[in-house]
Amino acid sequence: MRNARHWLSAAVPVTAAFLSLYFAVSAVWIPLKAELAQWLMERSWRESLAGGIPRPPWPWADTSVAAELGVPAYDVSLLVLRGNSGRNLAFGPVLVDSATGSRDIVINGHRDTHFRFLRELQIGDRLRLSDQDGDRWYAVGELEVVDSRRYEMIMDGTAERLSLVTCYPFDSPVAGGPLRYVVTAYAVQMSKAPRRR
Amino acid sequence: MAKHSSIRDQLERDAWRNHPLFAQRRARIAARHGSSSLRWQDRALLILAIVLVLLLIVRVETARAESGTAPFWGIEAAEPGGPRSVALNTDFVVQVTGLAARVQVTQRFRNDGAAWKEAVYRFPLPRGSAVDRLRIETGGRVIEGEIQEREEARRVYQQARSAGQLASLVEQQRPNQFETRLANIGPGAEIEVQIGFLTTVDYRDGSFSLQLPLTFTPRWESADAGAGKIWPSDAPHPVLTPGGDIDDHYLTVEVMLHSVTELVSIESRFHDIDIQPEPGGYRILMTDPDARSDRVFDLGWTPEFGTAPAASLTTWDGGDAVYALLMLAPPLAEAIRPLPREVVFVIDTSGSMEGTSIRQAKSALRQGLDHLDPEDRFNLVRFDSDAELLFPASVQPSPYYLAQATDFIGNLGASGGTNMAPALDLAMGLARHAGLLRQIVFITDGSVGNEQELLLGIGEKLGDSRLFTVAIGTAPNAWFMRKAAEVGRGSYHHIGKQAEVEERMTALWARIENPAVQNLQVDWGMEAEYYPEIIPDLYAGDPLWLYARLPFEPQEVMLTGELDGRSWQTVSRVSPLDGGEGLATLWARSRVEALEDSRIFGVDAAEVRRQVLDLALEFGLLTPYTSLVAVDRTPTRPAAEDLASEGVPSLLPAGSALSAGFSATATGWPLQLALSLLSLFIATGMLLYLPPSRAQHAGGARRPGAAFSP
Repeated sequence: MRNARHWLSAAVPVTAAFLSLYFAVSAVWIPLKAELAQWLMERSWRESLAGGIPRPPWPWADTSVAAELGVPAYDVSLLVLRGNSGRNLAFGPVLVDSATGSRDIVINGHRDTHFRFLRELQIGDRLRLSDQDGDRWYAVGELEVVDSRRYEMIMDGTAERLSLVTCYPFDSPVAGGPLRYVVTAYAVQMSKAPRRR
Repeated sequence: MAKHSSIRDQLERDAWRNHPLFAQRRARIAARHGSSSLRWQDRALLILAIVLVLLLIVRVETARAESGTAPFWGIEAAEPGGPRSVALNTDFVVQVTGLAARVQVTQRFRNDGAAWKEAVYRFPLPRGSAVDRLRIETGGRVIEGEIQEREEARRVYQQARSAGQLASLVEQQRPNQFETRLANIGPGAEIEVQIGFLTTVDYRDGSFSLQLPLTFTPRWESADAGAGKIWPSDAPHPVLTPGGDIDDHYLTVEVMLHSVTELVSIESRFHDIDIQPEPGGYRILMTDPDARSDRVFDLGWTPEFGTAPAASLTTWDGGDAVYALLMLAPPLAEAIRPLPREVVFVIDTSGSMEGTSIRQAKSALRQGLDHLDPEDRFNLVRFDSDAELLFPASVQPSPYYLAQATDFIGNLGASGGTNMAPALDLAMGLARHAGLLRQIVFITDGSVGNEQELLLGIGEKLGDSRLFTVAIGTAPNAWFMRKAAEVGRGSYHHIGKQAEVEERMTALWARIENPAVQNLQVDWGMEAEYYPEIIPDLYAGDPLWLYARLPFEPQEVMLTGELDGRSWQTVSRVSPLDGGEGLATLWARSRVEALEDSRIFGVDAAEVRRQVLDLALEFGLLTPYTSLVAVDRTPTRPAAEDLASEGVPSLLPAGSALSAGFSATATGWPLQLALSLLSLFIATGMLLYLPPSRAQHAGGARRPGAAFSP
């Protein structure tokens, strides 16, 4: 009994230390990956803007950059990926797939990495979406919290709008809750970029 | 005190100590004291364990956020969007003549409120419906609608809307989703909007069926691109509402089934019906007075069928051209002898398949292997950035090879890019086995960017092979997969969730096991413009429909093909039953679809739009570029009254789950980090204080408490 406890009191903390170190590293890896991926995608994005055939952001990548989302007021510039999968969400906000071609655009992002800035957005803020066709500007019209168990988003092929979706509440420690924060912005005409705040 | 202790004191103290009550108390105190100081590491261990478990939970959640796509929550209904004042009830009147059904939907809007209203209602129609009629009925007056170019129709409607005139607009939003707008419904008014459309009846496994979808679950699926223009952003979004205690959304259905042949049975799957035989057919009435539009109306009827493929041809003379519908009904599955096949499975193992998709794909693959017959041959190709063939030449499904294949499947993971072309080339380019029919079963989520190139490649290299596509996941690229199957002369199947794998693979197998007639050719005896342009094989349980426009009335149409490996032919004579003018509309509808599809083969979108527009205006068809609009010339709403817009919700499909279309969008890394730092802290603390703790631990065994225990 005594020996067992003696042995345990040394082994358990050592194991725990290693485990928690591993978890700490993997936790830090998430925001790090989020940043790193955006950085790596820059090149591929510039190439596709230049009209060339973009190389994949990294050799084994199975996604490509669809657009750039800019929020000048908060100094945010994010590369948006194609393919609405959890894996892609780790690298950047993603365009909800089959919406391509539609003017009703939905972008998902993680509330604790790329889309952290969503909580700051106010009604009237301008959002910019840039792709090969140029820039499109949107003004934030609605900020809503939606229970994803009760509602589904309805895509409207005729509405020219941009919806940014992330998890809610922003500070909830645990991932996987049912609430979503939805920012809906409507297209506006804009000849020049707005002044920074 | 202790210094001056006398013997008497000592004795008294000993007596006290020996007193049972005192001893008990002492023992209790000692035990308590001992446990708290003795096991402080145990407490730390406990805390550490709790923190570690929490950490693990958080870690699992994080991992789920990283790899899972949309998680599914329980079934819960959407809340109605506030109090409604516009009520809606729907009546269907259907005339089935031969293979076409003319449906008239009457949407009865009633404004129970005190304000003037605009109602917006989105509703589904069967896929491939040709909408061509709109009329508004109010107080005995009838206003006919007309087809106009989408933007023009909107302009007309908006103008009437602001001028206070009663007006209605019907637009197509997706291939199977439509929207009715009805402006200027006065307080207390009841207005009928009648929409007429044509659709074809379905045929499967010897029975005809007519399905009228009455509500829909909007999904993450694409809104049709259409000609997107800005609609006033205050346009109400339709919501779904649960049934329950609402006092509208009542439904009536009446079907007139014209039939010259005797029917074996007529049945409705979800509603009670009453069948009355009439001259030239049957009248079917839905009898449930409380029926709501919350589920599909599905009517099936079975005529007497033979065992040979039977063709039927109906025509309608449109003056400058003759329109024809040719249906080729396959023989019943029992009458077909399965042919030995070579099945090549192609599985997508690219990164986009990660998570549930690859698991579904793998079980679909295992299911597929289970269905193989001893005379069959099979092979496997997996691909991501590169493609890999399992066996250099296809092999028999012997236990040895099957074990090898199962191993191969078990080891598949998902990573890398999606490079489909080499995999398809590998599958299509395998050496042929004489007398074996090659069927390629292609399992993927179809997330590719070069659809056009791939489709062209399939068309070019397919040869005698047949391509069956199995789409995996909640939002696969369904359009591409369906087209690939069409070009590949196979069929398209979709597995949305794990529970569907078995059912869908069995359905796929039932089809690919029983190819009835292959390499079909149709000789119309003249120049004909027919759709679909690529004639698929005829499979057991699925009929083939061809819509044609011909310069003059055909006498007979010759069909040739291969049945059971031998050449087969049949001649179909024109049925005495007149096809009706609906045939022209249905032909135009299928041509619109073909034109829309041609965009993927590189036809300019503007050119497609122009052609579809011409066709739609000529045939009076509702398309993505044309809408139906009806306007009452006399204004009804006084200029002083405001008009409020209101969305009329659709009912949630009865008993069906509303899948959460939202992705998991939190990683939870801050909590994970905090917890792991906390447990790191505790663990380090324990390690640092290990020596004193051991001393204390050792001393603990000799605590006086033990000595005092009785």
